[in-house]
Amino acid sequence: MSALVAERLSHWFGSDPALDSVDLLVDRGDHVAILGENGAGKTTLLRILATAIRPSSGKLEIMGLDALRERRRLRGRIGYVAHTPGLYPALTAAENLAFFCDLRGADRERVPEMLDLAGLSQVARKRASELSRGMQQRLAIARAVMHDPLLLILDEPDASLDAEGPELLVRVMKDRTTVLATHDQALATRLCQRTVVLRRGRVFGAGSRLRVVQ
Amino acid sequence: MTRYFYAAGGAVLLMLAAAGMIFFFAPEDALQREVQRIFYLHVSSAIAAYGCFAVVLLGGVVYLWKDSLVADRLARAAALVGVVLTTVTLVMGMLWAKPIWGTYWTWDARLTSTLVLWIIYAGYLLVRRLAAPGRQAARFAAVVGIFGFVDVPIVHFSVTWWRTQHPGPVVINDALPPEMLATFLFTMVCTLILAGVLIAIRYRIETLLDAKPVAAVVSAPTQTEPAR
Amino acid sequence: MRFATVAVAIARKDLMSEWRTRELVPALAQFVVLALVIANFGFQIDSHNASAIAPGVLWLALVFAGLIAFGRAFAAEREQATLEAMLMTGAQPAAIFAGKALAAGLLLVVCEAVLLPALGLLFGVDVSAGLVGAVLLATIGMAALGCLFAAMVAQLRARELLLPLLTLPLWIPFIVAGGQAVQSAMGGSGAFDQAVKLLLDFDILFVVLTSLAARFVLDD
Repeated sequence: MSALVAERLSHWFGSDPALDSVDLLVDRGDHVAILGENGAGKTTLLRILATAIRPSSGKLEIMGLDALRERRRLRGRIGYVAHTPGLYPALTAAENLAFFCDLRGADRERVPEMLDLAGLSQVARKRASELSRGMQQRLAIARAVMHDPLLLILDEPDASLDAEGPELLVRVMKDRTTVLATHDQALATRLCQRTVVLRRGRVFGAGSRLRVVQ
Repeated sequence: MTRYFYAAGGAVLLMLAAAGMIFFFAPEDALQREVQRIFYLHVSSAIAAYGCFAVVLLGGVVYLWKDSLVADRLARAAALVGVVLTTVTLVMGMLWAKPIWGTYWTWDARLTSTLVLWIIYAGYLLVRRLAAPGRQAARFAAVVGIFGFVDVPIVHFSVTWWRTQHPGPVVINDALPPEMLATFLFTMVCTLILAGVLIAIRYRIETLLDAKPVAAVVSAPTQTEPAR
Repeated sequence: MRFATVAVAIARKDLMSEWRTRELVPALAQFVVLALVIANFGFQIDSHNASAIAPGVLWLALVFAGLIAFGRAFAAEREQATLEAMLMTGAQPAAIFAGKALAAGLLLVVCEAVLLPALGLLFGVDVSAGLVGAVLLATIGMAALGCLFAAMVAQLRARELLLPLLTLPLWIPFIVAGGQAVQSAMGGSGAFDQAVKLLLDFDILFVVLTSLAARFVLDD
């Protein structure tokens, strides 16, 4: 059973194609790493998969739903960590999570549990602007899983992650379908069974863990 | 290509015919003399401009509702033509006002709302230029077009309401003699045809502009195999 | 129900952030007082003409303070990349918009709490309940329209330029009816009741229209 089926996804900004006819199949429970240089189209692809933007053309089905029509329903089942943490600097770590709980209609009781998961219980009452970049990133990851999403989409979660980061990633990705973008090949092979390489908006190569290592 | 050429030529000939009627067929106005001849094109272009903005409104609504690229392109084309026609209306109106009212401009409801109309749709064109081409530009422009069309009658109404609180200049309209009416109706039809032709040409240009990125994508070899 | 929860959560978040950072309101309050001072020099105000000029000065100061307040409301979300984070929760875009407009409108009301007494003090105007009511009514519709277009321009280039260009023409009905109401509340000619009724009609119309349009402005 496929969790995600993307067919010929294309996206262009003006006349530059950022994404050119990308096909992607992700099975349920699969962990897929999207590798590629800056500007290869990783972020565009992930934003489309997270339903943040619509592709210029192509089809996208997530968990059996048409992702271009049922966006709001899908957003309730997708956890997305964007390139930037997207936190409110004047609110504390706990308040940031509580706010997004309210927006999801989720129970605020989960906030301490999520802070604990991200290892941020100590700094729960510190404002987001006072947290280190790595802590902010962990907070964003905790926010992305607080509604128990079935699909997790991570855009370079390692870019500013601290020492505790990779372990947190392993924990949130466990038993969860994940698409992860990174340029760190070692991390990709450690966390994911499959890799897809993007170059200039097109799928350049794909393989299982073994083939990429070879 | 020749189709557009003939259409454009035909529209120009019609406008020349209208000019002939305005200057040689329509009688001279007893009070305003020659200046009154501005009336025919002034009112016609105002009506055609309103028609264009109605197309912008409809195109915007249909785009938001059905995601139709055709509707968006039509709105784009009509907005540009509408702004040009509004400019014509405003300039001709000012030229007419100077000898008759003794001033280029008064803040009466119709003048004010026409100026606001011009500003709103100039903003519409600006949004089109500044937004990311494609979906964003189309969505934002549709919203501006819809709010603009709703706002203009309200501005007109509120200024009229306000001016009745403070009486201002009043324009008296006499019934038109038949030759004048015929000239007016002919000019109006010609202007509407001209607007239609301009929109069609602009629509074609927009289609060609839209086609550029698609061609770039299609010409590149495509990956058919799903990545595994 | 969910709509109200989301809107209130967002408005509370915005007001709390403003309370903690005090970024906007003090600057805006200073700005409106400054506008009164500048108007004084621009119009050669003395005790005879003050009451005739005061309504115009009031609306000019309010309109420009509003542009800044509404512009900031969405500029902050853009800088922090939080608008997308809110949308990705699956909350209704219209609810997000309502919360933002509510908070921004309330911040402008705080600003009016400085502007109106200052106007009374510096221009010798009698600040009556009718005047305050008219200004508050106009604030509702102006906040709805201002926030819709602020949300739009936050996603565009040249946003500082574009916001007044798009918003001011749409605010004209509020300025006309509000100006009339304020003038008659200050003892000038004209029908106060009729002006207030118009403001109310405009409020209802534009609150409904902006809520319908919010989805197309906020979300792709």
